[in-house]
Amino acid sequence: MKLASIMKDGKDLAEHCIDFGQKLGADYVEARYVNDTTRSLAFRNGMLVSGGFTPSLGIGVRVLVDGSMGFCSFDRLEKNLAEGAITTATKMARNAKRKEPIDLGESVTNVAKWKMETKQSLQDVDIETIKDLCTEANQQMAGLASFVFMFNANVIDKYLVTSEGTKIDSQLSYLLMYAILTAQAPGGSEQRFLDLTLAGGWERIKESNFIENVKNEVERLRKSAESAVKIDELMTQPIDMVVGPEVAGIIAHENVGHPSEGDRIMGREGAQAGESFWRDLKIGKSRVGSDAVNVSEDPTIVETAGHYVYDDEGVKSRKRELIKNGILHEPLLNREFGTKFGMGSNAAARATAFNREPIIRMANTYFEPGDYSFEELVEDVKLGVFMRSFQEWNIDDRRYQSKYTGSEAYLIKNGEITDTMVKRPIMETTSVGMLSAVDAVSKDLRFDFPGTCGKGDPMQGTPVYAGGGDIRFREIRLGGVG
Amino acid sequence: MTSTENLKTLGDYAINYGSKRTDAIIARVVQTENSQIRFSQSNIDISKRWEALKLELFIVMGEKTGTTDRPITSVEDVKKAVDDTVSFTEILPDSMFYAGLEDATHSYRELKGEYDDKIDSFAEIAPEVINSVIDEAVREGAKRVAGALMITKQNFFFKSSLGPEGSSKGTTYDLNVRALQEELDYSGQGLDCGTIPSQSEKSMLEAGAKAGQLSKQAIGAVQGTPGTYDLILSPTVAANVLGSIPESANPFYIMMGMSPLQDRMGEQIAPEFVTASEDPLFTGGLRSTPFDWEGTPSRTTNIVEKGVLKSLIHNTTTARMFDAESTGSSRMGDVGVGMKMLLPGASNIVFDNGNHSLEELMDVTKPTIYVTCNWYSRFQNYQTGEFSTIPRDAMFLVEKGEMKPIKNMRISDNTMRMFANIDALGNDRTQVYWWEVQTPTVISTMRIRDCKMTAATQ
Repeated sequence: MKLASIMKDGKDLAEHCIDFGQKLGADYVEARYVNDTTRSLAFRNGMLVSGGFTPSLGIGVRVLVDGSMGFCSFDRLEKNLAEGAITTATKMARNAKRKEPIDLGESVTNVAKWKMETKQSLQDVDIETIKDLCTEANQQMAGLASFVFMFNANVIDKYLVTSEGTKIDSQLSYLLMYAILTAQAPGGSEQRFLDLTLAGGWERIKESNFIENVKNEVERLRKSAESAVKIDELMTQPIDMVVGPEVAGIIAHENVGHPSEGDRIMGREGAQAGESFWRDLKIGKSRVGSDAVNVSEDPTIVETAGHYVYDDEGVKSRKRELIKNGILHEPLLNREFGTKFGMGSNAAARATAFNREPIIRMANTYFEPGDYSFEELVEDVKLGVFMRSFQEWNIDDRRYQSKYTGSEAYLIKNGEITDTMVKRPIMETTSVGMLSAVDAVSKDLRFDFPGTCGKGDPMQGTPVYAGGGDIRFREIRLGGVG
Repeated sequence: MTSTENLKTLGDYAINYGSKRTDAIIARVVQTENSQIRFSQSNIDISKRWEALKLELFIVMGEKTGTTDRPITSVEDVKKAVDDTVSFTEILPDSMFYAGLEDATHSYRELKGEYDDKIDSFAEIAPEVINSVIDEAVREGAKRVAGALMITKQNFFFKSSLGPEGSSKGTTYDLNVRALQEELDYSGQGLDCGTIPSQSEKSMLEAGAKAGQLSKQAIGAVQGTPGTYDLILSPTVAANVLGSIPESANPFYIMMGMSPLQDRMGEQIAPEFVTASEDPLFTGGLRSTPFDWEGTPSRTTNIVEKGVLKSLIHNTTTARMFDAESTGSSRMGDVGVGMKMLLPGASNIVFDNGNHSLEELMDVTKPTIYVTCNWYSRFQNYQTGEFSTIPRDAMFLVEKGEMKPIKNMRISDNTMRMFANIDALGNDRTQVYWWEVQTPTVISTMRIRDCKMTAATQ
């Protein structure tokens, strides 16, 4: 068998890709060498159904040629293969004949090394320890009608090099954990799909009270299935809603984070994830919510799934304030769209694997905490609902019409959260209608919504966090209950 | 591309070496060369090319099973993959999801129409084709055009230590065109997919034209009124919403609490004119294959026959667990992040064609809504089928013989109830595959009675 000569060192080959791309006449070349390993276990009703050790390794290259972008990737570190793929990508880019050339703006020349800080590296954790954790997690779910628990220890090493001089070494470390829970009660079943992702080393299991959190989630779901009821009174009039940080997080992510993405605003996701209602608004001027609405995006927060120091174009990360006092403030931008907006990149470019192009993504999206305690939010609500968590949700592709259906929800009466659980209250509103109804946010910022955000084509599932303080909405008309 | 002979060398080595360390081992060596062109605002945004050669392994050690999926270049890499997988599997608990593998040797039929000899030259001219698709959409009334064309080429060799062995190659393409007006609200979609892209330029242009026409027809759409309506679902929407029912006739989904078909075997779940199958032999099917992952020959399995739930799909393990026969539906599926599992899985979901023209479906006596595209389907409960999904692109209220564009509504209903309420089938059966439909589904336009449509309250 003849196999091409192999270059063992991915970094050397990535640097060769830069030289080769430039020789072909590319104006900009960027190569990302990614070495990604995952150890995984999956359980159903406490019993193992699958386990795997999956390494993924390869290089992704972007070339800018005559104003058109080409991308290629290959999973064998072979020089000939790399050169062939770059040649094809360059040819395809040239044939694209873009009417409006892509401009990446000012050169970026960062040289750095960074990693997610860990006290106990995931690579040093033996499988027995992982099995023990999974057993303990599964024990918390015992008694449910069915439960699935998936565990993945994921470590990603990256090396980014560009023709402009950027060279970034980085390491990401995630405990990607998911549960599918079904609680059965005489009145029917309730389900919950939980993302339990942690970022960092093994120490995050204890620091985050992981097992206790799972136990509480299971108990709450069981309670919802057994005791939540339809309350007709909630449908006959506008009511106040208080939502916890999990629901605040999904709202921050879907109704604010996604429409703030510069590529959507300018139409690049038009046929896939969609466009954005921000397109027809003015940044710095347009009001989309009440004064109490402040939503930010911040990749610099450590121990979060959205944490990074440099993005996948080599730009240093910083906090972005998407909405300030109800007014649009700043979109999420990469280099291409930073140039189009005339604002420069704010380091929002992320790629989920070597074989995916970097595109504009969220990191950690949240409602900035306000001045209220949770008790203060509730105390002057005469009739309302406290929606602590949600299950079914969706939003249109301009990110304007959203629906959130409650999973764990309680009736609020005369300033107190009652023991009466409300079955599936539905907030079905527009983004502006909902954000305009916010009148207060609590001071307790929590990232209760870890998630995997989907965007791009082919799909890229990116780990993100979302959260906020608790939020109070006034005069909401529910879309349904029960 | 590496020859099948080279893939066989790597696969043979995996089996020869792995057989000594395991009770059973299946290896699949897969080479792919894929390309994609993405475009928006009537410009090509990026042209992509992927090269991959990987080894997929499934091993059995007593009651334990293990999998891997990783890039390889040489027999040394294959040896390391086997060693790593054995080492990892040895320390796992026994698997509750293993009851055997295909152990008979078969000869496999050759599928016609699954490989395009001219795919490489087509990939080179694809940017020009896309620019023509954009022009076509604009000619029909679009102001802006977005989309993506994916072209795939795959060659693989597979071998099981229990006897089965085979190889196959295939090509596919899928095109998604979205035509938009200057306004955000008025858009239309056109889709096209198949296995022979070099002979499909005409249908790609038609997809562009259709998107442009729908986008123009959507101009002036007004807010729809919530209520209960009969719905006419285009093949694109029907594939996502109703194709999910036969797709969930999967014992693994049932065991995971992700299927509404538990305990429904033998029941009438749709009208008599509805028949749907899992068909890996469908000519031109994007996932057509002569044999499954274990080497069981492919066959067509009627899941819903004349409206009655007749069969689940099985691999060897689930067949033994459910006291049934394998339907030749063993696939290496994704579970979670970076984890593979040998599971039953649908190749192509194929519905029988109907006999009504679109005009006949639209000949209605009460207000009916025609939905041409949808996205973001989410379930409150997979076991009961309660869900919602958002119509996007052109949507019309059909009333008194007229079609008026409407917008901003949501289907909030139950998939099992909708499946039971299918009222009529179109004669326009087509293969659907895109972002929202990840299992190729061959389906026609459907009319469904009494569906709940909701809208924002504020």
